Amino acid sequence: MRLWRFWLLISIIALASTAYARQFAVIADTNNSVISVTSAELVKIFSGHTRSWPDGRPVKVILRDPSSAEMELAARKLFNMSGDQARAFARAHSDMITIADSDDTVIRFVSTTRGAIGVVDLYSLTKDVHVLKVDDKLPVEQGYFLRGN
Amino acid sequence: MVWTCIRKASLIAICLVPVIAAAGKNPQNGALPITTKSRQVRQLLDDAWRLNLDQVQQAEAIEVLQKAIKIDPNFAFGHLLLSQCSLDPAEQVREQQKAFATRAHASSGERMVIDWFQNAADHKLIPAITDMNEVLSRYPHDRWVVFLANWWLTQQTQYERAVAVFERSGITDSPGLMNNTAYTYAYMRQFDRAFALMEKYVAALPKDPNPQDSYAEILRMAGHYDQAIQHYRAALAIDPQFYSSQFGIADTYALMGDEKRARHEYQIGFRKFASLPELHRVQWQTREATTFVREDDYASADQAFEVIADQAHAKAMSQVEADTYRQMAIYQPDAKQALRFLDKAEAALRQGKNAMPFAIQQEMAQVLRARVEAALKSGNRKMATATLARLAMLSRNSDDKVIESAYHGAAGAALFADHKYNGAMSHLEEDINNPLSLQLLVAAYQKVGYGAEAKRVSETLASLNDPSLEQAVVVPGFRKCYQDPSCGSAFKDAALKK
Repeated sequence: MRLWRFWLLISIIALASTAYARQFAVIADTNNSVISVTSAELVKIFSGHTRSWPDGRPVKVILRDPSSAEMELAARKLFNMSGDQARAFARAHSDMITIADSDDTVIRFVSTTRGAIGVVDLYSLTKDVHVLKVDDKLPVEQGYFLRGN
Repeated sequence: MVWTCIRKASLIAICLVPVIAAAGKNPQNGALPITTKSRQVRQLLDDAWRLNLDQVQQAEAIEVLQKAIKIDPNFAFGHLLLSQCSLDPAEQVREQQKAFATRAHASSGERMVIDWFQNAADHKLIPAITDMNEVLSRYPHDRWVVFLANWWLTQQTQYERAVAVFERSGITDSPGLMNNTAYTYAYMRQFDRAFALMEKYVAALPKDPNPQDSYAEILRMAGHYDQAIQHYRAALAIDPQFYSSQFGIADTYALMGDEKRARHEYQIGFRKFASLPELHRVQWQTREATTFVREDDYASADQAFEVIADQAHAKAMSQVEADTYRQMAIYQPDAKQALRFLDKAEAALRQGKNAMPFAIQQEMAQVLRARVEAALKSGNRKMATATLARLAMLSRNSDDKVIESAYHGAAGAALFADHKYNGAMSHLEEDINNPLSLQLLVAAYQKVGYGAEAKRVSETLASLNDPSLEQAVVVPGFRKCYQDPSCGSAFKDAALKK
């Protein structure tokens, strides 16, 4: 028998092995005064068209390998590319984009690097970074840009 | 004076040092400092772990925690645990509030845990996540922290993370954590790993019925019905009063398609265990009623469900009454009749007796979702659109997962009915815990030519072995057509060549 709670009466069934929607958070260092970006601005940042913040600091992008299955959505939305194309692009722009081996590494880098911006799974978030709104929405809100399959 | 305990594998408290010193020196490898002045409360906390986690005697564990907080009303962490273990919605909320109110008496680690669950209760998901990760980074090996993280993440359907918390903890000898994690593996359909943990759980507590009961349930989830029944019987041989196993046998026969035998076993259970907790009784009465749905005997199903609804009404259990009518609506062949039952469900919810506001809202979302589907089925697009708008409003004003999933399920169904398959897919993918949405998702994938996705979701749906009404309505028919694409039922769209 598993532990049981009343609300489970209507939460029906857990089915996990089907694809489930991913939610990514866009994070910046806590000194960054920017609190919100548009999805168009975000795409410009990740595709290398915007290379500095409004205060002049250079943008440093970091994310996990965009060709991995978990990052497919992020690659598609942030680079407008397939995962493999996004990885090749990141490697060709290694002065600006860093590929990390884990969300922990992304958070560590962003929290200690002025001007850094990264993408992590929502459930990896810590207090060491701040979450940017995208199109005025946080990752938990309906219609958020970096959410889906 | 505030004290802390560092426990070894033997679960014996072996040292007492001031909390602040312990937490300040090396929290990375330490136990979560537990704050109470009472030795008896500490002992009760160990008892609660054993009863709640190892043996899953939840009712007894709740009594123990209630005793602990009576002895030490300022035991904030005890209030928090009771809020999470309780089967009474009112007590859940009350104890959560008491945990928060008494948090000044707690250690910094305990306060973080309390903040995490308070934020979760307030639907502040991002602060809840950051609190949880902070606690986990400080106390990754503490059994209570590991349990709470595993438990909460599983509720959030973050199964991979839930498992990772257990695996990184290094705790290999806790029967309760083995049990919880085995279920998480089963939700991920990684049954080999689930079975391996179950073997260890059974070996750790050979004289307890719950390991056999859990093993049986996980075997059933994997479709190994005969073995499941053997393990349920083994549990009853250890403890003939372990009612969960008697009803587990009945549930298993229901899934096997032997509905008569299932009803016989449910009746044995109801006769033998006359004083079941009320919500458990409702659960198994509902499953017994569902056996008629599995036989397409809707008149008998209506009679059985009406009995449950009447009982719930008499006992002023508004949410249960509403949920019973909602389930009746789901299996009705006549959409107009379904809408009549949904009217009754909404009327019960308006009464709102003995239910917390969040539970009423969750149920309302489920009812509205069913109404959208019934309206679509009856061809009443106006009603479907208006109801979907109500549900969208409910969802926008909440980040409750149940409400959000209900909205996505309904929105996906509406778009599917309009032949807008791409839009339908993106909504239905947000409601993957519901067979009704999965069935539509398979069809939508097929319509747009996503063969691999359709096949993957079809396999999941066809292998779903859960004794719920939604499973009964969707899966047997889907399974039949999955195996035989030439079948002529309403599930034809879902059929796939293997």
